[in-house]
Amino acid sequence: MMPSRGLVFDCKRFATHDGSGIRTTVFMKGCPLRCAWCQNPEGLNAVPQVLYMEKNCIHCGSCMQACRNNGITMTAGQIQVHRSQPENWKQVTDACPSRALRMDSTYYTVDELMAEIRKDQPFFAYGGGVTFSGGEPLLQAPFVAEVLKQCQKEGIHTCIETSLYADRQTLDLVLPYLDEVYCDCKVYEDNEHFAYTHVHNDQILANLRYLLNSEKREHVVVRTPLIPEMTATDENIRGIASFLAAIDPEVHYELLNYNPLAASKYSYLDMEYCFDDNPKMYSAEKMEHFRQIAVNAGIKNIVIS
Amino acid sequence: MNKKQKARIQSLKDTMLAQPRYVSIEQALIITKTYQENEKDSIQVKRAKALYNALTQLEIGVQDQELIVGNRTKGVRYGVVFPESGISWVDREFETIPTRPQDKFRVRQEDIETFRSEIVPYWKGRSLEDVLKERAGDEISAISKVVKINQTDHAQGHICPNVKEWLATGPAGYIAQAQEKMKDCTPEQKEFYSCVILVMQGVQAFMMRYHDLLIEQAKSASAEDQKTMHHVAEICKNLSERPAETFHEAVQSMWFLFVVLHMESNASSFSPGRLDEILYPYYRNDIDSLRLTEDEAQEIIECLWLKFNEIVYLRNKNSAKYFAGFPIGFNIALGGVDENGNDFSNELSHLFLNAQEDLGLPQPNLSVRLHKHTNDALLRHAVRVVSKGSGMPQFFNDEAIIKPMQELGISKKDAMNYAIVGCVELTTQGNNLGWSDAAMFNMNKVLELTLNHGRCLITGKQMGPDYGALSTYETFEDLEAAYQKMTEYFIQKMIPCCEAVEQAHMDILPTPFLSAVIDDCMEKGLDVTRGGAHYNLSGIQMIQVANLADSLAAIKQIIYDEKRFTPAQLEKALQENFEHDEVMRQMLLNRVPKYGNDVEWVDELGVKWATFFRNELRKYTNYRGGPYHTGMYTVSAHVPMGQNVGATPDGRLSQEPLADGGLSAVYGRDVKGPTAVLKSVSRIPCECTTNGGLLNMKFLPDFFKTEAGITKFCNFLRTFVDLKIPHIQFNVVSRENLLDAKKHPEQYRSLTVRVAGYTAYFTELAGDLQDEIIARTTYDAI
Repeated sequence: MMPSRGLVFDCKRFATHDGSGIRTTVFMKGCPLRCAWCQNPEGLNAVPQVLYMEKNCIHCGSCMQACRNNGITMTAGQIQVHRSQPENWKQVTDACPSRALRMDSTYYTVDELMAEIRKDQPFFAYGGGVTFSGGEPLLQAPFVAEVLKQCQKEGIHTCIETSLYADRQTLDLVLPYLDEVYCDCKVYEDNEHFAYTHVHNDQILANLRYLLNSEKREHVVVRTPLIPEMTATDENIRGIASFLAAIDPEVHYELLNYNPLAASKYSYLDMEYCFDDNPKMYSAEKMEHFRQIAVNAGIKNIVIS
Repeated sequence: MNKKQKARIQSLKDTMLAQPRYVSIEQALIITKTYQENEKDSIQVKRAKALYNALTQLEIGVQDQELIVGNRTKGVRYGVVFPESGISWVDREFETIPTRPQDKFRVRQEDIETFRSEIVPYWKGRSLEDVLKERAGDEISAISKVVKINQTDHAQGHICPNVKEWLATGPAGYIAQAQEKMKDCTPEQKEFYSCVILVMQGVQAFMMRYHDLLIEQAKSASAEDQKTMHHVAEICKNLSERPAETFHEAVQSMWFLFVVLHMESNASSFSPGRLDEILYPYYRNDIDSLRLTEDEAQEIIECLWLKFNEIVYLRNKNSAKYFAGFPIGFNIALGGVDENGNDFSNELSHLFLNAQEDLGLPQPNLSVRLHKHTNDALLRHAVRVVSKGSGMPQFFNDEAIIKPMQELGISKKDAMNYAIVGCVELTTQGNNLGWSDAAMFNMNKVLELTLNHGRCLITGKQMGPDYGALSTYETFEDLEAAYQKMTEYFIQKMIPCCEAVEQAHMDILPTPFLSAVIDDCMEKGLDVTRGGAHYNLSGIQMIQVANLADSLAAIKQIIYDEKRFTPAQLEKALQENFEHDEVMRQMLLNRVPKYGNDVEWVDELGVKWATFFRNELRKYTNYRGGPYHTGMYTVSAHVPMGQNVGATPDGRLSQEPLADGGLSAVYGRDVKGPTAVLKSVSRIPCECTTNGGLLNMKFLPDFFKTEAGITKFCNFLRTFVDLKIPHIQFNVVSRENLLDAKKHPEQYRSLTVRVAGYTAYFTELAGDLQDEIIARTTYDAI
């Protein structure tokens, strides 16, 4: 039998913002949502893609020589990557001496990923662990569940960051092996949710309700990323907060300030970001305004960051 | 501290920083004159008389508000010229000292003239430098591009005197001891003891001179200052007659000890050691008897801290370039385990950290000893001080230091009581002439010669034996065998040079005062330079394991395993400094894993050769009868040492700097984050760093913004302890660093910043985003 494999686009050690302690965050590639503001656009597509970082390129042309179907061309000293051309991209990127051209992701077996995770086990001894993020880790739930199970067996604290866009069975596959769950609730009104993320939110809200009634509820944190004009409206926050408070007013709810730096990766992929004119982070006063709305809607445990 | 106390410290600090610095030849003249008037005496007696004359004749000064007094010149931060060790550089550079790029001092024209007419002629052929040049100059310079032999033109420092004993004995006590010993001893011992008596009498007189000056100067001081000055004068008088009794006396006594050590030797890095432990009985006693409040203690400590900044070290232009800021290395160690292996810290540990936080000055060099059971309060306090960005305190790891020290023949009790001298050099306290900076051994130059028929890539000169070249070694193992032979060859060449240096110190620079405060010298009646100390080590630094591991890994993978290029191609590329081989260079740089990324096979290449070097060296015994051991630190020498090395197989261009630190990865090559660096470094056996290791790390201030961040940082350090890494220090990156990173990305490639939902490499971000982060960092700056 082929060992199950997972497609990972980054395995970041010393992640200190994704859960308690010093953590290793595994970014799983592929996401069913298409949020207009996505922070990790290279995690959207569920297949390996070529990344081109012009800064590192020495324009030696080694990549072009490794191409069979003109997947890469150079005009006026500029490299163009034609990602749709049929090429053995692994071979092409392997020819690049400066790694300006590289694959954005790697397939891991459970053992390989465990070896990577175990590397920082000496640090996990003081409260850290592993966090699965993405993309959407639930899109590769069977693989993720296997790794989580092994982590738990070895005493490694486990955490997930998910959109909760998955069916109940899929969620149940990983839930038993999770010590902590961070889940997004981005937009409350379904039409708007669809407009900004390209999926409906009925399943997400149902999963939230399920989670917040489960025995894991103490270990669930619900988060709303504040995107100007999209999620960061008074009505939306009020809607989400009321919905959550009705389930459990003690829910841990977090409002994440808009981070304008998300745009940085888009250029490597020849993609466009949702703002032409990138807005700034919200001020402390504005954050307090949003917090107050959530509090007024009945939320008791709220964090703004 | 209250407002008045704070004002005193601020005013003293401002005065110190505002005073112009001069080069001083005052003591040089006294020494020269003493030698001329006592030509028939032995060197030991001449040295004792010269110190006595300096103690009784040098101009002295005090500030009205000072709680701690004493300096080796009247003005603060003077650069002292010291003829016995070597002054040829002063002769060459005297006129340019006021205008050189780093560490400028003012110069009086008449001093230059006096120096040239009265000092220089006498010392020709007599100074340590000249004698050594005569005896072993050719041997030392023949290997100088591979091994830099140190201590050739200045006296030996990097010593931790027995401060505890000094406080409990005082100069009068040492005189009594010497008199007792003299009753039954050999003529050689008698000379030694009489020298000790003479210098201690000088010390008593020196203390009384401060008493007299304070009383005199108080006459014209404000009523309030008058009271303080009389109090401090009383302390000076007491100390000239008896040991210290109060906390204030103990601190003043300790400071006199260090002033006099610098007057005797003008060497860098005499260090106080574990002051929180040493001073505590005095502190506790005064607090309990209501003689002292915590605020008053803090004020005295901060006055001492200011004093540590008043003695500076005059270096030549080249040395000042790499050690700018005239550091002299008063190292103080806090915390650690006590003699029973239990966690140790007390109120003084915290008062010292407060002083660092309040003053933010470069001295003392504050070190915190960590171990498995370090209490949270000390660790958190230390981390908070680190977050302020002064780079201090640095951290040492008992778990990585105590056991390997014992392997050198050091007793468990002494190893548990270790301290640090200078930057990161490890020592036992009060009983050791550690000679920690004997030489720096450039492992990368050895590799260069191994790959190129023993010829220097930069000059083409034959510097070592011809064991072959890259193109003649059929396998990687053949290459390693040749590298081993080349290493052995240069160790054999280095040892006689080290011995010549030690012998010259013995002949030219005996130090009776220092000897009195190093255990066993008084007992044996033998000077410390002549083997009088209880422990007699010599430390050799390995330069730099990171580049060596990266180079060997690149050769192994790209040339011998993947065969992307032939050995002859790489040999030629190295000879041509990669001029026509940028593709190859990029491959070597980017397609082979590097040391510092938790890649075991690469790290193990470094481990293999560090261990080999260390074991080879352990076969030798130094001139004083003690063992050689190794350290892995360069402080700033990675730049000049790099200038001696041609292009290297790791893709580094000719004469570029080597890795910084000593344990650190090459700048920007540690791309897997700080945990991976610690894992890599932890593979280096602690036995290789008994003389000291140095690991540098950079963090952004916003990491420390929250309590959660501080906790995570503490946890990081707890794992550092578990991983048995000897040392770590942190550079909390400021906005200026980020601006610099934008300009020089190659030096900051491993600098990570929080971007959006993920952490990114700062230098890989687009320019406008970098600006955004820079703006944000200012916003977050502490």
